[in-house]
Amino acid sequence: MKGIVFTEFLEMVESKFSPELADTIVEGADLPSGGAYTSVGTYDHREMIKLVSCLSQETGISPADLMRTFGLYMFERFYVLFPQYFDGIDTSFQFLERIENYIHVEVRKLYPEAELPSFECDTSQPGCLRLTYRSTRPFAPLAEGLIRGCIAHFREDAEVEVEDRSNGQGTAARFLITQRGTLS
Amino acid sequence: MSTIEQLERRLERERRARKAAERIAEEKTREIFDANARLQQLNNHLEELVRQRTAEVAAARDEAVRASQAKSDFLASMSHELRTPLNAIIGYSEILLEESGDLVRPELRPDLEKIRGAGKHLLGLINDILDLSKIEAGKMDLFLEEIDVAGLLADVSATVPPLMAKNGNLFEVRGNPDLGTARSDQTKVRQILLNLLSNAAKFTKQGRIILSAKRLTGGRGDYLEFEVSDTGIGMTPEQMAKLYSAFSQADASTTRNYGGTGLGLAITKHFCLMLGGDVKVQSEPGVGSTFVVTLPAVCPIAGETPSPERAEGTAGTVLVIDDERTTHDLLERELGVRGYRVVHAGGGREGLHLAREVRPDAITLDIIMPEFDGWAVLRELKADAELRSIPVVLVTILGDREMGYALGAADYLTKPVDPDALLGALGRFHAGNGDVPVLVVDDDPMTREMLRRILSKRGWSVAEAADGTAALSILGRTRPAAVVLDLMMPGMDGFEVLDTMRREAKWRDIPVVVVTAKDLSAEEVTWLNQHAERVFQKGAYTRSELVGVIHDMIARGTGTSVSRRFMEGAR
Repeated sequence: MKGIVFTEFLEMVESKFSPELADTIVEGADLPSGGAYTSVGTYDHREMIKLVSCLSQETGISPADLMRTFGLYMFERFYVLFPQYFDGIDTSFQFLERIENYIHVEVRKLYPEAELPSFECDTSQPGCLRLTYRSTRPFAPLAEGLIRGCIAHFREDAEVEVEDRSNGQGTAARFLITQRGTLS
Repeated sequence: MSTIEQLERRLERERRARKAAERIAEEKTREIFDANARLQQLNNHLEELVRQRTAEVAAARDEAVRASQAKSDFLASMSHELRTPLNAIIGYSEILLEESGDLVRPELRPDLEKIRGAGKHLLGLINDILDLSKIEAGKMDLFLEEIDVAGLLADVSATVPPLMAKNGNLFEVRGNPDLGTARSDQTKVRQILLNLLSNAAKFTKQGRIILSAKRLTGGRGDYLEFEVSDTGIGMTPEQMAKLYSAFSQADASTTRNYGGTGLGLAITKHFCLMLGGDVKVQSEPGVGSTFVVTLPAVCPIAGETPSPERAEGTAGTVLVIDDERTTHDLLERELGVRGYRVVHAGGGREGLHLAREVRPDAITLDIIMPEFDGWAVLRELKADAELRSIPVVLVTILGDREMGYALGAADYLTKPVDPDALLGALGRFHAGNGDVPVLVVDDDPMTREMLRRILSKRGWSVAEAADGTAALSILGRTRPAAVVLDLMMPGMDGFEVLDTMRREAKWRDIPVVVVTAKDLSAEEVTWLNQHAERVFQKGAYTRSELVGVIHDMIARGTGTSVSRRFMEGAR
């Protein structure tokens, strides 16, 4: 998993909760990296699972909710860090449809070894986007958070229905996004 | 746990993260360096590949150039081989035609005319093919010179009436009077117009063909516009599309019905482009065609070859009395190149005045002139004791030949003037019919025999040499009044003979006319123009032309004593 996910996660914990809590979960998670993350590095995704699990224990919030929250936070950070991916994009559907064929292609140019999840889009139904997430890692809730973050970014009113496709493993899910309108 | 400890831990994590980032950056840098090195290597390899390929392409190009050179050489030598026997065919048929009047069987005449016509046609085809192959090889040279456009037009118009008569066509020339002069390649402009006119004449029956010319003043200099329109069979758009392609006529039946190779228009188009202009066509089937040639008045192509200098008046002075400007222009040019000084009179009274003042060696006289006509001028000339001996050639569209001779005219020519015929007439006054020696140098016995017969008919004695060495040997013993020289001969060739003659003081001033079947390069033409009096392509000249030139050359200074010595030496 790319280091940026870890650095952003810890920054979120520091800002949303406290630097002390961040330090606590890093120390308590018993991480092979020792929690010394750099955004250009690559780390075992299980460290993320441990960090989320520790944070859940410390806060009493479920790991899935924490991941969704992180997804929402992460999307805005994407906008700040990589504005070029937003050029000419006006709606959440446009952005989500571009993940697989544009954003992931660009990521692979910089990190050829990156293991990326797949996002399959189905737009056959007008006003609806059926997005299927598949990964070797159980980050479906993180994906859901990112999708919700995307809708919020474009100030849209949309309903997101989540259908688990991995028997609760979190490695596959189908998101049915239905536009209701635009928030004024 | 104290805040200090927390911060220290955090600092430690940040420090390690920084070091990890630095290590990653270093690794990435190394990867980039390695990738660059690999690219460089690939690039070098590619450059090596490109070098190899370039060498291969260059070799292929050299091979193609060699092949093209071989093709040109082949064409040049083939044309030489073909022209030599053709020259004999045309020459002998002309001799026979001339003599057939005296023959018992004058019915042979049409057959002889067919032989001559077919020979000339074949020669035309060979010349066309050669022209086209030269154009395609980029070896067609331009000889830029000052052209009197009206004169050129008159000249062309004088040449085409037989063509027009063949299909019963009416021919008309519409020349704007202020055509002025142009700087271009006269031979090519003439050929462009003749090609278009002969084309029009070929595809029009019982119709009308108009040649018109005008000068256009434009932002980028003056242009000359020549228009050839006919009322012939015309063309469809499809036929027009492939009009200028070599060997492509309207369709196969065109070739059967109208003849020709289909090279004329391809050559015309190429010539127009070479001269910085173009040719355009408008046509309608069954109505007719109009070709428009536009040429810049000053040909923009650099590297022009200066035309050989004219010898001014060395052959004598001719007074031209005529009220038509075109005749003046034509004679000025044709006689001028042959070394005559031409004096012009626009009417009868002026003509008489100038005849007294200039005392010309010969006079050409038009009959139909306003106020004071040719008959009156001729009567006055012959009544004047001082002017009586000047030979007068009547040049007119109609008139009474017998009356002319009765009044004392020396010769009689009809308009349009055939310059060769006039030169022949003028030459006769000059050279007389004495025993004048001419040396013919040619390795082809048939050609030698033909030239001997042509020249001896004019009263000249002829010595023959089969190669350069034999020619120099004869020159060592005698001094001919003129030399007719072939270029391509075994052993010592014509160039060497001419070079030797021009180096030797005693031979330097012997006039030489080159008659060759060789396809000459621009350098050779330039060299020959400097060293010989005249160059003729075998088969491409008329006998009267050759005879006229030799007359001129002889007229410029030989004596009978020389001739006698020459004859003794040659025998």
